Order: sequence, then C-alpha cells, then structure tokens
Amino acid sequence: MSFRDKAADVRTVNALLTGAEQEALAAGDDLPGVEHLVLAALGLPDGTAADVLVGFGVSDASLRAALARVHADALVSVGVDGSVREPDVAAGRRVGPRGFRATATADQAFRAATALKQSSGADRLLGAHVVAAACEQERGTFPRVLQALGVDRAALRAACEEKLARQARG
Amino acid sequence: MAEVIEVPAVDDTQAALAAVLALRRLANQLESAAVVHAIGAGWTWADVGQTLGISAQAAHKKFAPLLPEPSPRSRTRSRKEKQ
Repeated sequence: MSFRDKAADVRTVNALLTGAEQEALAAGDDLPGVEHLVLAALGLPDGTAADVLVGFGVSDASLRAALARVHADALVSVGVDGSVREPDVAAGRRVGPRGFRATATADQAFRAATALKQSSGADRLLGAHVVAAACEQERGTFPRVLQALGVDRAALRAACEEKLARQARG
Repeated sequence: MAEVIEVPAVDDTQAALAAVLALRRLANQLESAAVVHAIGAGWTWADVGQTLGISAQAAHKKFAPLLPEPSPRSRTRSRKEKQ
C-alpha cells in the first residue's frame, strides 16, 4: 500500500468513525451502534454503500425513516406514543475531543469491515465493506431496520461482496 | 391514590429488548434537551451535575458537545465574568 493509499485509508476511517459518533450523538444514543456505522458509511465519498443499498430501493432518507419507525414501534409495544421527533443530525452538533468509543456490536462490525478490506485486497476501506460487515449482525436494531425495509440480510451482504469484487477488478 | 405503573409483561423477548433500547434512546433525548435548555437558562454545570447525580465535570464532558458553538462575543463575555 502506498503512502497515498494509506493516508486516504486513514481519512476514510476517520470520516466513518466521526460520522458514526455524530449520528449516535444526534439520535440520543450513548454510543454508536451498527446502524450509525451504516449511516456514516452511506455518507462516505466512495459511494459504494449508497450504490449497493439503492439496488434494494434503500436511500439515506428511507433508512433513517425505517430506523425511526423501528424505534417508534418498539415504544408503542410498551404503551409509549411512538411519534418521537427524530433529531436533526446536520444541526451542527459536535463530537467531543475524545477517542472513538462504540457499542460492542459496532466495534465488532468495524473490525469485521477492516478484516474484509484486508482479505479482499482493497487499498482502502469502502462503504460496502462496512455494510457487508453490518449484515453479520443477527439481532438488534440494524437487522430490525432491514426487516422493516423488506431487505434480506444475506442478499444485501452478497450484493456488497459483488460490488467489492467489481471494484477490485476496476 | 396514584396509579401504579407496572412493568409490561414480556411476551416477545426481541420486542421487549427493542423497547428497552428505544426507551433508553427516548430518555437520552429528553435528558439532552433538558440539559441544553438548562444551560441556556443560566444553569451551571455544577447545577446540572447535582440534579443528575453526576459531577460537574462529567456533565460538561457528556453534554457540552450538544451545545451550539459559543459566539466569539459570548466567549469574551464569559472570560470577563471569570476575571
């Protein structure tokens, strides 16, 4: 890996982790979860996460809407009115000057994404690596969001791998 | 007599755990909104910390990133207030 690739990789990881933390902070979650990593991956400039999800009819907006719906439905199940206003991520909230902390599942997904990057021989981490790794989570918010969107986890993972293979071939 | 709030029966484990996450998230949103409001209304970090049962430093560390960036004018004012 050239110095230039390495620097680009560091920038990508930084953007991903900062973005995930910002998403979590804005949503009122203590720590970034897998769903926040995926939202941050959608915003990465490589565009691979967005490309794969578009193939399943999922956009940034529909993913956010499904996430809000999953939480609202969960609240309704215990008798709380589900019409919770979703916070605005772009409202200039800042991430504190501290090291990256995440939920154990998000940490695991991030490690899986970097392992996938290495095994695929990619020069740098791409959004599709993150989405593919996120699909390994069997229980929790992200699988529920995919279910709400009618997206099959295994099919999404396969589409990510296909996209990454195409990307590697150039 | 006040109505007793009962913990809902767990019929569906997945749904119950999802509700726990959603309730925690809702509580965090309420906490953040209340703290931002309190600081805007002139509360100190010590006031906020005492109310929430944490130290002023812990309150500042947790909630300061939620506050809008202070304007240069207000920064100057707060420096003058400290002197």
